[in-house]
Amino acid sequence: MSDEKPPVGKSWGRLYTLVIAVLAGLIVLFYFFTRYFS
Amino acid sequence: MTWIDWIVLCVTLVSIILYGVWKSRGMRTIESFLLADRQLPWYHVGLSVMATQASAITFISAPGQGYTDGMRFIQFYFGLPLAMVVLCITFIPKFKLLNVFTAYEYLEKRFDNKTRSLTAFLFLLQRGLSTGITIYAPAIILSTILNIDINYTTLLMGGLVIIYTVYGGAKAVSYTQMLQMGIIFSGLIFAAWMVVHLLPPEVQFSDALHIAGKMGKMNVIDTKFDLNNKYNLWSGIIGGFFLQLSYFGTDQSQVGRYLTGRSVAQSRLGLIMNGLVKIPMQFLILMIGVLVFTFYQYHQAPVFFNKTEVSKIETSAYKAEWQELERTSGTLFKAREQQVNTLIQALHAGNKGGEDSMRKGLQQTEKQNQEVRKAAVALLLKNNPRADVNDTNYIFLSFVTKYLPVGLVGLLIAIIFLASMGSTASGLNSLASATVIDFYRRLIKPQASASTYLRASRWSTVGWGLFCIVVAFYAHKLGNLIEAVNILGSLFYGTILGIFLVAFYMKKVGGTAVFIAALVAEAFIIFAWLTNLMAFLWLNVIGCLVVMVLAQLIQWGSGAFGSAQAPGEDKKASPVIASEASKYFEN
Repeated sequence: MSDEKPPVGKSWGRLYTLVIAVLAGLIVLFYFFTRYFS
Repeated sequence: MTWIDWIVLCVTLVSIILYGVWKSRGMRTIESFLLADRQLPWYHVGLSVMATQASAITFISAPGQGYTDGMRFIQFYFGLPLAMVVLCITFIPKFKLLNVFTAYEYLEKRFDNKTRSLTAFLFLLQRGLSTGITIYAPAIILSTILNIDINYTTLLMGGLVIIYTVYGGAKAVSYTQMLQMGIIFSGLIFAAWMVVHLLPPEVQFSDALHIAGKMGKMNVIDTKFDLNNKYNLWSGIIGGFFLQLSYFGTDQSQVGRYLTGRSVAQSRLGLIMNGLVKIPMQFLILMIGVLVFTFYQYHQAPVFFNKTEVSKIETSAYKAEWQELERTSGTLFKAREQQVNTLIQALHAGNKGGEDSMRKGLQQTEKQNQEVRKAAVALLLKNNPRADVNDTNYIFLSFVTKYLPVGLVGLLIAIIFLASMGSTASGLNSLASATVIDFYRRLIKPQASASTYLRASRWSTVGWGLFCIVVAFYAHKLGNLIEAVNILGSLFYGTILGIFLVAFYMKKVGGTAVFIAALVAEAFIIFAWLTNLMAFLWLNVIGCLVVMVLAQLIQWGSGAFGSAQAPGEDKKASPVIASEASKYFEN
């Protein structure tokens, strides 16, 4: 059952990587946001 | 509120409730009532999960938090996407394969009855109290708008949610939450635009952020590691990860949402959606609070935002002292307005020296303003030692009702109601699930008919609804509501998560070891909280680690003395899950 393919994207691993990459991107963005406006 | 706002509010609420009720008609079984027949698509799951977490507190407290404390609260959510990934990999497949109703059912086969009962009991205690707070939050709004005693509005709000949840069950919860989130997103974007629109024409959006930033509100990221700092990058990623993993992985109000997915893939996609959207959504809500802060640099803010407390002191012996504080606040406002205007000129001219000088001046004036607010609180307490001196929850509401245009006020109030209905309904539905599945069906009536369990679920929903109303009566003592809910969660989630992680990853540890470890860990967490040993987010980490380490040690110790019990030692597992469970453990 857990081998079921995701309806979007080629594998679950890629989707999970995307989630973590978006988080990392947001943290970097927020860091520069803090520096720029403070 | 004008009559147009009332129409917007009533039409929005009634149409969404009717839609949910219509979609949930013809309910006959407990599976329909508690899990919507496990047939919902991923976007239902995702929106339902988000709506369950985003209660009215999110829309009342979080902008207030942004106003008073800046953006740093966003770091609290950094662990959430990571928790979603772990849930997708580990929790969802296990729960779905066993076809469980509640997360705690899993623990019975893996450990024993007592561990399942203890975990379900901790959940009921924590969720019952938290849901009480989520009922109280919108009751504040009704109380302020209609000028009615808070106890009556609490009864009204709680009563409406009980009726709606008892009738609709999980399907109604999910269908209404889907519409609710659509309205919530559009309303929030519109509100953010309105705040910027209400600023003076010469102040652009980026200027507003610069003003807030110079006054310490754009503190989105704090990279310094400090165990006693509630919100920094590390407490957010590590502590937040454990809190979110506990909340989404072991709190039935969330587990019940993704168990409604029609397959493992659909449930996973719903959680991935939450992992991608939650932080930007929360950022927007906090940003609204920060923009309201900038707005009040151009419009004089009240010394204290809770009108009820202010009206009490204005008719007391301290009236003259209060008026003096208001005069001081007015003088500070004028000085600050001038400084802000000079800052904007310096920003537009690219004058770094002027910018820096105004930053220092503004911070100094803001410090004086905070002193006035402290003096105001002291005076309120002097007049009435039982006064509600935390006005964070009133900041955004006060702004909405005073400055936003006709129609939008009704829509934003509707959003707060919808958010409350969504999360309270999920809470009551999950409390009923744990009560009926983990206690009633197992201990009181193991072989009853479907209609008996359905009836028991509905009565259980009513019972918990009444309990939550009683809790709501006392919720005003808790200060900032969004923090109160998270602190309450942190007192129990670490222990519960520890039990589940032992179940998933420490195959040689048995039920008795984990049961004792959980009791010790919970006692330690309560002690750590009472003695302020650390910031609350770390309680999740510590609670979880204490359970895992202690359970392993007890298992080793009992093995050394020849009394070790094998995992799943109590074979009196519920017959309902026994066959499914045996399939899983054989795999």
